[in-house]
Amino acid sequence: MASRTKQKEEARARRLAEERAHTERVRRERRLRMIGGVVLAAVAVVAVLIAVSSGGTSKATGLQKGTGQAKTVAGVSSLLSGIPQSGARLGNPKAPVTMTYFGDLECPICQEFTLSGGFPQLVANEVRTGKVQVVYKAFETATRVPSVFQTQQVAALAAGQQNLFWDFAELFYHEQGQEGSGYVTESYLQGLAKQVPGLNFVKWESSRNQSALASQVISDEHAGSSLGVTGTPTLVFQGPTGKTASPPEGVPTYADLQQAIKQVS
Amino acid sequence: MTTVSATRPATTQASTDRRLRIAILVLSLIGIGVAGYLTYVHYEGLKVLCLSSGGCETVQASSYAKLDGVPVAVLGLAGYIGILGSLAIRTELGRIAGFTIALIGFGFSMYLTYRELFTIKAICQWCVSSAVLMTVLAILTAIRAVRDEPARL
Repeated sequence: MASRTKQKEEARARRLAEERAHTERVRRERRLRMIGGVVLAAVAVVAVLIAVSSGGTSKATGLQKGTGQAKTVAGVSSLLSGIPQSGARLGNPKAPVTMTYFGDLECPICQEFTLSGGFPQLVANEVRTGKVQVVYKAFETATRVPSVFQTQQVAALAAGQQNLFWDFAELFYHEQGQEGSGYVTESYLQGLAKQVPGLNFVKWESSRNQSALASQVISDEHAGSSLGVTGTPTLVFQGPTGKTASPPEGVPTYADLQQAIKQVS
Repeated sequence: MTTVSATRPATTQASTDRRLRIAILVLSLIGIGVAGYLTYVHYEGLKVLCLSSGGCETVQASSYAKLDGVPVAVLGLAGYIGILGSLAIRTELGRIAGFTIALIGFGFSMYLTYRELFTIKAICQWCVSSAVLMTVLAILTAIRAVRDEPARL
């Protein structure tokens, strides 16, 4: 009798242990499935975040279309209209302070400075009122292929021959594509040129073949190297007495630019 | 005797979970500090304190510093607060939620670090610190998520 009871207890204990093991197994499998789902969901969310990020694929092609493009062109025209331009110079050539802007049209930091750093305020206040003139000089940093750098810079200088360099450069920065994606093609440059209000496209195409413009790009780069420029944007302010100053690297704010103007004035 | 041997693993498990929770709590608080500081300087228009010359400014001013108009520092802040909040939920749901947020934070941090190194070509120590914090948090929350639920002591 005692032996039978013991057997029953042992069987019960075995059954309970098996039930516990089964419950545990089911729980573990459920948790692992859940974790697998979490990993997949996280990968999907990160993919969406990357796509939404301004560095995502939407920037790869560069050129804007439709109302976005119209808004950009209107914004650029509004910033520059009425300000004298000559070649790569923006502003009154008699302005007492000159800001030399060493830049690369494909450089994203130049884009930040030109569109949302201190530059727009400088143009709206000091350049428009004739206190500062800006001279753009080409310096290759972000553009990976030297021949592309040369081509895009010559395209901008060709617009400059119609006194529209800054319209072209501003549009380039506004519609800059993903760095290193090879977005600067012939069709991209022509697309930009066609957006520049008042630009004679045939004349622009013809100007692009001028060897003087290619030489100017090389000369700009030499000027940058001799000044010790290593990155873009690099800004050099020169006052009426020849005194020079440079704001901090990176994306100088309007306050940084004002400080540099004060130093050279 | 049987009772003692059955209790020990549960005690160890609970103790390990407690240590993990403390580590996650501390790292989340540091993360809130880092992301909170970057959010503050962004909205106040102040310069970021930086060891490298202009690196942080460059990164902060780049187009990658915002996600559809929202500063990534704000997203980081929300992520750290979310991980911290998940500790308050003492069930499997809390552990899974913490792991999910940390994993998303880790993935996006890796993407932003890649952009810093290869696109912006500037390094911001605050962003690197945040990426390291998110990486460690993803590991710790993953350990908590795959481990058995600790016994309540």
